[in-house]
Amino acid sequence: MTEKPQKTLVIDLDRCIGCHGCEVACKQENGVALGVYYNKVLSVGPVGKFPDLEQYFLPTVCQECYDPECVKVCPTGASYKRADGTVLINKEICLGCRYCIMACPYGVRSFNQEKKVVEKCTLCTQLTDIGEKPACVKNCCGKARFFGDLADPNSDVSRVLAEAGSDSVHSLPDAGNHPSVRYILHRKTATWQDGHVRGDFS
Amino acid sequence: MSIEWALVGFTLFVGLSVGTFGGVVATEWWGKATEVRLPGAIAALVALAIGGFSSVLHLGHPERIFGALGHPTSGIFMESLMLGLFGLDILAYLIAMRRDASDQRRKTIATIGMVPAILLAFAVGDTYVLASRPAWDTLILPVIYLVSAGVMGCFSLSVLIARTKVVETIATTTAAVNRVTVYALGVQTVLLIAYLVHLAIAPYADASRSATRVLAGDLAPLFWIGLVLIGLLAPAMLTTLLGRKKAENLTPLSSAQLGLLCVLVAGVAFRVMMFSLGSSIRHFF
Repeated sequence: MTEKPQKTLVIDLDRCIGCHGCEVACKQENGVALGVYYNKVLSVGPVGKFPDLEQYFLPTVCQECYDPECVKVCPTGASYKRADGTVLINKEICLGCRYCIMACPYGVRSFNQEKKVVEKCTLCTQLTDIGEKPACVKNCCGKARFFGDLADPNSDVSRVLAEAGSDSVHSLPDAGNHPSVRYILHRKTATWQDGHVRGDFS
Repeated sequence: MSIEWALVGFTLFVGLSVGTFGGVVATEWWGKATEVRLPGAIAALVALAIGGFSSVLHLGHPERIFGALGHPTSGIFMESLMLGLFGLDILAYLIAMRRDASDQRRKTIATIGMVPAILLAFAVGDTYVLASRPAWDTLILPVIYLVSAGVMGCFSLSVLIARTKVVETIATTTAAVNRVTVYALGVQTVLLIAYLVHLAIAPYADASRSATRVLAGDLAPLFWIGLVLIGLLAPAMLTTLLGRKKAENLTPLSSAQLGLLCVLVAGVAFRVMMFSLGSSIRHFF
């Protein structure tokens, strides 16, 4: 799974304090419209029975899937996967059919009502292509976000995942799309919840 | 997810068009009810045009639709292609009628049109079969769309036959059409039950897309009234009453029209229910 380059994010939930700073940084950097998100922090929990309660924050974002359904269903090729693994949208040829929104298992794509096209996290390629880090990574006050190539053992993401140990590395449910974003959560912080998170209804 | 009304209109009118033209093709093979062929083909073409227009309303940039030609594997490409071929075939059929083509040639043109028609009715449902939406991730869905087109076609044909007011035509065809209608409604019932079973056993169980929500939750009125009562029981009753001529206050035409209205309303109800159940595995934004 990691032979090909795969730029992605690793988010350390042990460190995330749920400040929503990544959301703000993302909106500022990418000019994301009001009510639209490329990146959103959710609260998971509290779960358990008082006084043994657990809660953690889950920053959600495009999962930069290895086998993205959004790309497969796009009728014009507007949704595509770059050679470095980043999933992007060419807004110049997007039909605005929203089929990719239906095909995304995580609901992390949005329809821009003004431009009539679909949008999503771009991993800030305007920054990363010139060697910088995505805005959410740069501005995370808890230093909880990491960006890099999963196929490169020397990248930030590979390094923190190796340090965390496989038992503490989690990913979102896989419906055959193989998400690449990884979450680090140790049991000492909270138990990873495979079920629903608060606000997980639409 | 939110109800995509443009897609509701698209799939409903495409189904109506396919069903209506299917009825016309049936009369060609049957060799009866010749009077319904011209209005039937025109009605099918009009319904197809309305469906196509509805799908355009859904697009943010319809002027970019030709970009889809380069990606023949997408569901939208298949829908567009089949819609185009089906529309052309109906036009060819109408031209053949206008030019008094032979029975065999007309029948051949009509029959060929059923290939893209059936593929289209199936494809509009198959587009929704997505692993990301557990409630939709079943082939039962496109089969329901296909059979629904058949049910709409049966009532559409009944209306067309009743409208002819030709006693002989009505007498020789009504019983057979009603029999097929009842069978189609039976298949529809089985498919609806199968879909409920799918909802109950689909992976990533969630209250937003559960069978409980359909049977006893906020979607229950839509299911019991819209689908069971209006979509199955009322049409079945109208069909059997019509067949047995026991409906004293209901003429064959009004009975068929009411039946068609019922299945159209149920068609909308099913699509609304489908969109309401179409939550993704996780919905974050």
